[in-house]
Amino acid sequence: MKNANKGQIRIIEAFFAVIIIFSAFAVSANLSVSNHTISHENLASIGLNSLVELDRDGYFCKYITTGNFTALREALSLVLPTGVCFNLTIYDTQMQQVNTEIITNSGFGSQDIATVEYVSAGQDSPFLCYIVHMQLWVVT
Amino acid sequence: MRTRKNRFSVDRSGQLLIVAALAIAILISSTTAYVYELSKESGNPQNQSIGDLALALKQSTRNAIISSLANASNGEEEDILTTNLGILAQVFRSLHQLDMCSLAFTPFGDAPYDSGTWLSWNTTGADVSSACANFVLDIRDGSDRAMISYAVNITTSLTMDGVYQLQDSEKHVNLTCRIYNEGLPALAESLNVFYLASGNWTEVDASGLSEADYGNGTYVLTFPVPQEATQISIHMRDLRNILVQSKYDIP
Repeated sequence: MKNANKGQIRIIEAFFAVIIIFSAFAVSANLSVSNHTISHENLASIGLNSLVELDRDGYFCKYITTGNFTALREALSLVLPTGVCFNLTIYDTQMQQVNTEIITNSGFGSQDIATVEYVSAGQDSPFLCYIVHMQLWVVT
Repeated sequence: MRTRKNRFSVDRSGQLLIVAALAIAILISSTTAYVYELSKESGNPQNQSIGDLALALKQSTRNAIISSLANASNGEEEDILTTNLGILAQVFRSLHQLDMCSLAFTPFGDAPYDSGTWLSWNTTGADVSSACANFVLDIRDGSDRAMISYAVNITTSLTMDGVYQLQDSEKHVNLTCRIYNEGLPALAESLNVFYLASGNWTEVDASGLSEADYGNGTYVLTFPVPQEATQISIHMRDLRNILVQSKYDIP
C-alpha cells in the first residue's frame, strides 16, 4: 500500500513544485506591469518636455501665430506617448485667449489630471510670446 | 547499508524537488524585484520639476534672443534685445505671481557687443551677426530652491572666398559661401547678390546666377558682372531669418 501510494505522492509534490515556480512568475509579471504606469509627476514632466521639444525650432509659436491649431494638435499627438490625452488653452501676454477652437485629442480619462504652464517665445519678428496652459491625463 | 542509504535518497527526492522549486522561485522573485528597484526613477519629483521648468525657461529665452537678433540684423534698433527680454521677464513674473520663479537678465556689454548685439559685416574674415545675454533664474518649488546662471549666445556667421576671371568684357565670378549657426554648418533661407559699379549697388540678375547648394551650409555661386564692377556683396538669411552680409573685392 505504501509503495502503491508513492507514485501519487510524487505527482502531488511535482504539482506543488510547478505551482511554486508559476506563482513566482506571476508575482514578477505583476511587478513589471505596475512599473509602467505613468505617475502624476511624470505626466507633467512629459507634457512640459513635449512643449519644449516642439518649441525648439520655433514651430510651436509659429503654429499659434498663424492660427494653425490643427497642425498644433497633430504635432502634440505625435510627440506625446500613446494613451496620453491633452487639452490646450493659449493666452497672449494680456491673458486674452488666443485659440479660437478647442485643441484636444479628446478621450475619456482618469480623474488624475496634470497641469502644465509654459511660456512660448517666438523666433520670428516681431517678437511674440504666449502663455500655454496644458492639461494632461491618461486615457482609461 | 548502501541499499538503505539509496532508499532514503529515493524517499526524499520529492521533498527535494519542492525545496529546489522554492529556491528557483526565490531566485526569480528576487531577480525581478532587483530589476524593478533599479528601473524605478531615482531622484525626488520636486527636483525633476525644477529641472523641467529651468529647461523650459531656457528654451524661451533662447527663442527670444533669436527673434531679437533677427529683428536687429534686419534693421531694427539694437536695443530691441533688451526690450524683448524685458517683455519675456514680465510674462514670467505675471505667470508666477507668488514669486515662485524670477528671471533676471543682462545683455552682454563687453566689446565688441553693444547692448547684447554684435553685427560685424563686410570684414575680411568671417562676418558675424550675434546676440548674447546672461541670465539668472531663481526657482522655488516647496522647500527646494534652485538658482541657475547661464548665458545664451546666438551667432550666425558667413565666410566667403572666390575667384573671378575676365571674359568677353565681363567678370565671371565664382564664390564659395559657408554659413554657420553657433559654429555649426547651417542652411540659408535666402540669399541676394549685389555688385558695386560706378558707385551704385545693383542686384545680380537672377537669370545669370547659378547656385549650387551642397546641403551642408556650403553654397557655390557663379555669375557674370560688368567689367567695371569692383565689389561683390552677399546678403544671406539663415532659417531663423537672421541676416548676415559679406563683401568680396574684385579689383
